[in-house]
Amino acid sequence: MNGKYAMGIDIGSATSKCVLIGKDGNIAANSLIASGTGTAGPSMAVEAAFGKLGVTRENISAIVSTGYGRNSFPGADKTMSELSCHARGAYHLYPEAKTVIDIGGQDAKVLHISNGALSQFLMNDKCAAGTGRFLEVMSHVLQLDISEMSEAGARAEKPLEISSTCTVFAESEVISHLSRSASINDIVAGIHKSVATRTAGLVKRLGVIPEVFMTGGVARNENVRHYLSRELGVDIKTSPLAQYAGALGAALFALELTNNKE
Amino acid sequence: MSEIKSILSQLDCVAKNPRRQLDMIIDGGKNVVGCLPVYCPEELVYAAGMIPFGIWGADGKELSKAKLYFPAFICSVLQSALELGLEGAFDRMKAVMIPVLCDSLKCMGQNFKAGVPQVEFLPVIHPQNRKTEAGQEFLRSQYMKLRKRLGEIGTPISDEKLAEAINIYNNHRRVMREFSETAAKHPELISASERSAVIKSGFFMDKAEHTKLVERLNLLCGAEPVVPWDGKRVIVTGILADSSSLLSIFEKNGIAVVGDDVAAESRQFRTDVPVTKDPIEGLARQFADMEGCSVLFDPEKKRGDMIVKLAKERKADGVIVLLTKFCDPEEFDYPFLKRAFDAAGIPSILIEVDRQMVNYSQAETAVEAFREML
Repeated sequence: MNGKYAMGIDIGSATSKCVLIGKDGNIAANSLIASGTGTAGPSMAVEAAFGKLGVTRENISAIVSTGYGRNSFPGADKTMSELSCHARGAYHLYPEAKTVIDIGGQDAKVLHISNGALSQFLMNDKCAAGTGRFLEVMSHVLQLDISEMSEAGARAEKPLEISSTCTVFAESEVISHLSRSASINDIVAGIHKSVATRTAGLVKRLGVIPEVFMTGGVARNENVRHYLSRELGVDIKTSPLAQYAGALGAALFALELTNNKE
Repeated sequence: MSEIKSILSQLDCVAKNPRRQLDMIIDGGKNVVGCLPVYCPEELVYAAGMIPFGIWGADGKELSKAKLYFPAFICSVLQSALELGLEGAFDRMKAVMIPVLCDSLKCMGQNFKAGVPQVEFLPVIHPQNRKTEAGQEFLRSQYMKLRKRLGEIGTPISDEKLAEAINIYNNHRRVMREFSETAAKHPELISASERSAVIKSGFFMDKAEHTKLVERLNLLCGAEPVVPWDGKRVIVTGILADSSSLLSIFEKNGIAVVGDDVAAESRQFRTDVPVTKDPIEGLARQFADMEGCSVLFDPEKKRGDMIVKLAKERKADGVIVLLTKFCDPEEFDYPFLKRAFDAAGIPSILIEVDRQMVNYSQAETAVEAFREML
């Protein structure tokens, strides 16, 4: 436990994120690999973070793993659920956050934070609707890069309606819009609106307590945030590090582990 | 201690092998009548010299034939129960009683009649207005019809035999309530899975025999010293809580079930049958006396407060709501349950379950997060 850094690794279904923090709790290095659980993604994420600081495992005081693949990461001192980690990480990034919306690769979660820790949560159904995977499927259908989706949606003149809840049916709906030569931008905005509506339903079930902070990969999509904010009637904050909230939370728990042992 | 483990393992074996249990009872010379959820007047079956046998579907049962009769949005309890019937699993039973306490059960009876004609279908029709005199009179007349038919299938049911059956059942209910308290006091002796198996085995045994075993178990556990439990204590509520995968997730996370409001568990033995001169009147009154169940009409919605009270009595850290997928009555209850838990400051989580569930990783994450939160 003599290492200089505490490490958190968030192994999701689509990506692996690693965060190293110093004893002051500040982020020293972070990395993201676009492969998730069951792949080389987690070890690549660790190597990338280590590489940035030129450190090895020896320099790490404790490791906490989280995310869908948390139990399969070798060498973790502790595993924690991603809900606790996201709450902790989001609170660190934005201490005013009371409600956290996390849309990851395969699920969506809403959390309430009270006194800096998780107090309530709700997860989506066992279904890809309204998650990162949904957007990924749609971006393939539209032959857009996922990173281009937000801008495309923002350019929409008349957002279309995507009414199907199911990803598979929504895909056919998108294809039928395409075959009617609808504008790609309008379709994308419709897709974002449908993600926002579905997520808003989940958020409202738990209750909206401002300030609302968004984490997870989908938080980077400004157009989804725009529609979600409209659906919920509140501002939605995020951070450039939003996708690292889970890994950051895990790193903060790892630091706590180090401090407790010392 | 070894006797405690031996009784627990005996009951676990019964709970895991209903098919073998059914054959054993029938080969032993007794007739069996199947009883579907949620409430059947089992005392009538027992008084007719037969053994009532619970049918609550089966985990992991592949559904193929049942899909001809039910749309996809019917709960897996009934889908898998019908599948079992269509496969011939109930062929050795003399009859199957099917109540009509929810919309899906209403279709179940007709589907059973059409798909499983080789087994007699006995409808159990409860009144919506349970507490009015008209409702009571209606229920007495329904029970009289069942009494007559069951008396023909088995042996005629005299008032004395029925009173005796009621006595045996009330005794079983008392012992099961004591067991629930015993399990809450001794989570180190009785795990979540063992607790579930003790209760579930009661569906597949002669109640008098089950009572003896559980009474002995209560006595033995009661003699053990109460030791501090460093895990978390929860109350579970829902239709079912018998999934072995889910229960092992509870155990892995140091979670003990210290009480329940589960339809297949405590709701079965919470309310005694009042002892009345006419035993049929007592049976009907019990149905009016039952409270806090999603399929029983209750304009006052007492269920939330009942669970809160139980959670406080058992010093529970939180409540886990196991919502059976596609169970409308439970889904309708959830909003006011959640309000009651929040108002009382009791942490709770909702986990959707069904009998076809194979991937429990999301449930595991929810349980872990809940434990970290408590």
